Amino acid sequence: MTSIQMPQLGETIVEGTILKWLKNEGDAVKADEPLFEISTDKVDTEVPSPVAGTVTKLLVAEGTTVPVGTAVMEIDDGSGAGSGGDGATAPIAASPEAPAQAAAPAQAAAPAPAAPAAHAAQPPQQADQPAAPQTPARAAPQTPMPDRGPRSNILSPIVRKLARERGLDLATIAGSGEGGRITKADVLAATAGTAPAASTATATPLPAAGPEGAALMAAPPSMPAGQDEDAQPMSHIRKAIASHMLASTQQTARAWTMVEVNVDHLVRLREDTKEKFQANYGVKLTYLPMVTRATVDALHEFPLVNSRLDGDDIVTPRFVNMGIAVSYDAGLIVPVVKGVDGMNTVGIARAIADLAARARSHQLQPDEVQGATFTITNPGPYGSLLSVPIINQPNAGILSLDGIQKRPVVVEDDAIAVRSMVYISMSWDHRLIDGELATRFLARVKHNLETWDFAEDLGV
Amino acid sequence: MIGSRSPAWLLTPPGLIDYDIANEAMHTLARRRLADEIPDTVIVLQHPPVFTAGRRATEDELLWDEATVTARGGAVRRIDRGGSFTFHGPGQLVVYPILGLGSRPDAAAHLRRLEEVAIRSCADMGVTVARRADVQTGVWSGEDKICAIGVRLLRTRVTLHGMALNCNTDLAWFDGIVACGLPDHGVTSLSRLLGRDVGVEEVAPIAIDHLADAFDLRWSPAPEEISRPLAGAAVA
Repeated sequence: MTSIQMPQLGETIVEGTILKWLKNEGDAVKADEPLFEISTDKVDTEVPSPVAGTVTKLLVAEGTTVPVGTAVMEIDDGSGAGSGGDGATAPIAASPEAPAQAAAPAQAAAPAPAAPAAHAAQPPQQADQPAAPQTPARAAPQTPMPDRGPRSNILSPIVRKLARERGLDLATIAGSGEGGRITKADVLAATAGTAPAASTATATPLPAAGPEGAALMAAPPSMPAGQDEDAQPMSHIRKAIASHMLASTQQTARAWTMVEVNVDHLVRLREDTKEKFQANYGVKLTYLPMVTRATVDALHEFPLVNSRLDGDDIVTPRFVNMGIAVSYDAGLIVPVVKGVDGMNTVGIARAIADLAARARSHQLQPDEVQGATFTITNPGPYGSLLSVPIINQPNAGILSLDGIQKRPVVVEDDAIAVRSMVYISMSWDHRLIDGELATRFLARVKHNLETWDFAEDLGV
Repeated sequence: MIGSRSPAWLLTPPGLIDYDIANEAMHTLARRRLADEIPDTVIVLQHPPVFTAGRRATEDELLWDEATVTARGGAVRRIDRGGSFTFHGPGQLVVYPILGLGSRPDAAAHLRRLEEVAIRSCADMGVTVARRADVQTGVWSGEDKICAIGVRLLRTRVTLHGMALNCNTDLAWFDGIVACGLPDHGVTSLSRLLGRDVGVEEVAPIAIDHLADAFDLRWSPAPEEISRPLAGAAVA
């Protein structure tokens, strides 16, 4: 049995209307044959079948508007009950072209939505955040999955909130997600009969604000603005950032490690060559491209730091797409230097300068803020000495480059000398990485920065 | 930013192209694109006056009766794209990208890219226009829409329809409809914003460059069998 869902047509499209069923219950369908027509704000499409089989059930009426991911049709494809596997994910992902995707870059395969950035990219026109990754709706299996431990540990806040709102005992619901996890779709399915009748054709079971709204609503009791206080609604970008940051702190096992790096020779190199560099390449020479280059090398040495979790799988790309956190007027954005492992320091410097400039002028394309395999944040220029960043999911870690400072340090022969020093640290996900690996990775970054001669790489 | 551009055919039939012929050609190309028989293809053209109703259009949004429309030399067509009523006519740059979206189609990104083409093209002409996330897809100058956007997908994977940018469109036509279903918003054109006559021929080369950039395409010549049906479709 395969459950067909309202497909995800893009980050910002959160719901769709079933315009017309092209297949009825009992009809045979071939793979990729159109099943139904949907309409969203400005895009209409026919939705093809991911499988061949027989339509067994239409789950909503024509004219009904449902959130992305809602099961709308069931097809018996002969695979038997309860196989809510691949075929049950969004029809798009399961379309015949999907196999090619296995080898596709991370941005295509990444289960999570793009970084906060995806929104920030085009601040003025973004709609609300789409369904969060933790609730991939799946076909409800006919038999409950084995219980693999206390479910409360693996429930998303949305599921908990939804169940609370509907007075459901979660212990009575069979989870269809990874490891028997109860998903939003399970809760919706369990309450399908009891939900209050919608007064219009819209059957949206969630508040329009969606999961991010749900997560934010778990905040303390309301305290409206009083005298001498201003209240302003959060922008979409602010909300998206809030939701991603909160999700990361709730869904990762964050640990943190720091090294101290002697960058004395890099400071001298930069002072000596920054004018020539700018004249040659048209961009300013900063430390960020050098640190990025050193980090990419360390990621090659320790690929697990470049990996991500996908369900129970650890996915390790054989390439590096580096997310670079950039602050701009609307908040925070993480443009991605794709294929950074193929660039020298000059190429990295140019790519970062280009992305940062276009981020600040709101000119980034959506795909330029997706698919990071690792992220670097660089609060140093603003004066920070030490930062504990939040992991940019689904990355395994985020490296922080803080401010360079002259410090008295003990050098060879136990002498004390003044050196330009910097703290470089990493927040890392303990689900994927352990302390030894994190430390060896950072030690490699430190070693690279302290021993490499960047002059040649910089062409100066 | 990084990555190779895919080759695409660009069709720019001259004159005013009959809507039905263009619509049929677009659908034929899209079906062939779906079957991977042809590469991505973009049609850039102008239509004679025609109101088109998307799937979200309601009858009361057509303010003139069809007899009035006909008397004025226009036509009304109900079509399969998303969105409400819009108008196409002389002086309006119409772009129909027929693109394969791959196995992870992102229709929202497609809309954003169409908007980006209009924004950059207008910027090159000297006008700052913007998206209005609070109102609707499309590109705006203040409260007035300058570029309408509506799209359909074949099996979620191939794009149809596209964008319409007003260059020196006779905006009086828009009195005949509630454009895009928004009664409280107006329409504008590059000519009106710039205070001079800006024709499609001036804007088209700029827009074509931005189309290539926004969709990562490299133009290559289309075979004659592809370009012929449209090339001869100009109305007198």
